[in-house]
Amino acid sequence: MNLLIRGGRVVDPSQSLDAKRDVRIENGLIAQISEHLEPDDWGFGETGVVDAENAIVAPGFIDMHVHLREPGQTHKETIATGTAAAVAGGFTSVACMPNTKPPLDTPALITEVLRLAGEAALARVYPIAAITKDRAGRELAPFWRLHDAGAVAFSDDGSTVADARVLRQAALYARDVPGVFIEHCEDPALKGDAVMNEGDASLRFGASAAPGLAEDVIVARDLLICGETGKPFHLAHLSTATSVDLVRFARSRGTACTCEVTPHHLLLDDHRFTDFRADAKVNPPLRGQRDCEALRAAVRDGTIDVLATDHAPHTREEKAGLLADAPPGFSGLEVALGAYALALPDLPLERFVALLSANPARILGIPGGTLRVGSLGDVTVFAEERWTADVSRFQSLGKNTPFDGWTFPRRPIATVVAGNLLMYRGRLAARTPV
Amino acid sequence: MQRRNLLDLDELEAGELRGLLDQAQRFGASPPRRDLLRDIIVVNLFFEPSTRTYTSFAIAEHLVGADVIALPPGSSSLGKGETIADTALTLAAMNVRVIVTRHPESGFPYRLAESFEGHVINAGDGCHAHPTQALLDLLTLRTEFGRVEGLRVALVGDILHSRVARSNILGLQALGAEVLLVGPPTLLPASMERGRVKVLRSLDDVLPHVDAVMLLRIQRERIAAAVLPELDDYARNYRMDARRLELLAPHAIVMHPGPYNRGVELTEEVFDFRGWRYAQQVAHGVSARMAVLDYVVNGLPVSPAPPRPESILV
Repeated sequence: MNLLIRGGRVVDPSQSLDAKRDVRIENGLIAQISEHLEPDDWGFGETGVVDAENAIVAPGFIDMHVHLREPGQTHKETIATGTAAAVAGGFTSVACMPNTKPPLDTPALITEVLRLAGEAALARVYPIAAITKDRAGRELAPFWRLHDAGAVAFSDDGSTVADARVLRQAALYARDVPGVFIEHCEDPALKGDAVMNEGDASLRFGASAAPGLAEDVIVARDLLICGETGKPFHLAHLSTATSVDLVRFARSRGTACTCEVTPHHLLLDDHRFTDFRADAKVNPPLRGQRDCEALRAAVRDGTIDVLATDHAPHTREEKAGLLADAPPGFSGLEVALGAYALALPDLPLERFVALLSANPARILGIPGGTLRVGSLGDVTVFAEERWTADVSRFQSLGKNTPFDGWTFPRRPIATVVAGNLLMYRGRLAARTPV
Repeated sequence: MQRRNLLDLDELEAGELRGLLDQAQRFGASPPRRDLLRDIIVVNLFFEPSTRTYTSFAIAEHLVGADVIALPPGSSSLGKGETIADTALTLAAMNVRVIVTRHPESGFPYRLAESFEGHVINAGDGCHAHPTQALLDLLTLRTEFGRVEGLRVALVGDILHSRVARSNILGLQALGAEVLLVGPPTLLPASMERGRVKVLRSLDDVLPHVDAVMLLRIQRERIAAAVLPELDDYARNYRMDARRLELLAPHAIVMHPGPYNRGVELTEEVFDFRGWRYAQQVAHGVSARMAVLDYVVNGLPVSPAPPRPESILV
């Protein structure tokens, strides 16, 4: 299928392009970018046209941190519903975390995820494999064979690799395996059974709480292991002011590390907890206002490389339980674009686009993230339009978001994967498997 | 139906709180009518062992004429996968009007109140709140001093994990008392200081200046959790003993929510101290709980507050 995206402002930081252009996709690849193109310019086959007037045309957005819950927890989400949520939210690719049941720690499981993603035929899915077997933090996962099967990165996300020796050995062994180590930074001892951040709100509630220090000590440790072993590390969902300071310090010493921040850590602090509702429970927990501000500053000054949702769907029943029992996490894919824009109103568009496309593509070593001729025909079209999030319209099975009812200044208009228009103004199209 | 609950003291206006204490004081002076809660079914849903609070509620419920059903801990279907909302629906369908509940997790009564078409009384949730304990403590102070406003009250010990402390801080603040929190940093974060609530480390320095001392129970689990060293180390700084009793002003009183650990929060000398008010606290527990039951079901009586006696303090 050929597609012409017409009349939009093309913002592609990978080629320093910011101009009104038409984009033509042919055979799944970017074929031509020009000031004015007509559908019948080339005339081969049927050409669809996407009207992008008053909208911005960008390389397809990549969410490098999602939980698709399959295999094992398909009551929360499936690869089909999770990738539907992705295209609804303007994402053409997602990288999925391996804390499924069982965890993605064998080549066969990686193959299975890719097969299910192919069947769903919506957003591209890049599986992330576990760092340790069964995510238990003791024995190493078979890095080379997982890479062969299609794993693009490694992570025990959901948990920190608690044993520093194990993590160091893993980083040394896997140094030459393509695929960054993505670390979830929370010290299990300092974290304990905490349900929220240690601060005014937790003191008021008498809730078990963990300090920001639980993240900071692991960020410091991981940056040192990264520097010493030379294995590239990517720090997931940073949530504290000290964490981003530590990243700045490590980079000043030449450490090859990258990091991401979520929409909720940019916008919400621990005062979101009301009446003990678990709708604000997430790992790492929502911190203080000062941390939110430090994270936004770290995006603006370039310390943060990537915006990622940590899309973590759960059922209503699970999230309606007691604070102590309810699982952590939010369904993020379908509010992310708006939430990022709300959090970062003064961020130049070119930076906004890079944080969602070129940067995650580079860190994961995956194609995409650019509209150069010959690259993947994956495009996200978005507009500066106000809209109100409505969880009941989510494609995701997870209806758990603290952003329900929020009004955002930016929204996805169209999601194009390999030249297929999969979403246009909130409506999803079924894609024919290739 | 009006859905009055008592989940914590911060949902009461200062005037309502005074009204509730007035009512409790009246019930303490002369027992209420036995038909205050006639034909009202009250369920006591306790998920934690409790002798004092449970018995106190049970007696209060009988004295106001309620029909009382006790669900022994462990018998609830909540342990069998039934959700809190299911339990609330089931009890409401059987015409239960009031649930008195205690639970080891902070927030349980809030979840229950969300879905229960009746009244929920919090008899203690996790480390969060214990509003009826705070009411009986306020009643004890008021009976002793004629007022709570302007009193200086020290809470001593494990403030961080204490639902008794949290509810008392709310109640004391609402009624205009000055609150001094005293304890070691692992049990009392410095950030608990705000407004008229002060955080202090030295009990000896505090004792000469307070009208009342509320000792809090120390849990032995804190030692295994590396929050406290051996209990003697705690006792060195915070145990109320003969020497520390001497430091108190002549009018000062000492309170404890119970159960107390002899030799840890206090020594036996405290039991002979003229200002030891433990028995009064327990007695006030019944009148405070009768007043709470009456309040959630019938609302507050419209009546002028009794005249406030002049302070006996300088």
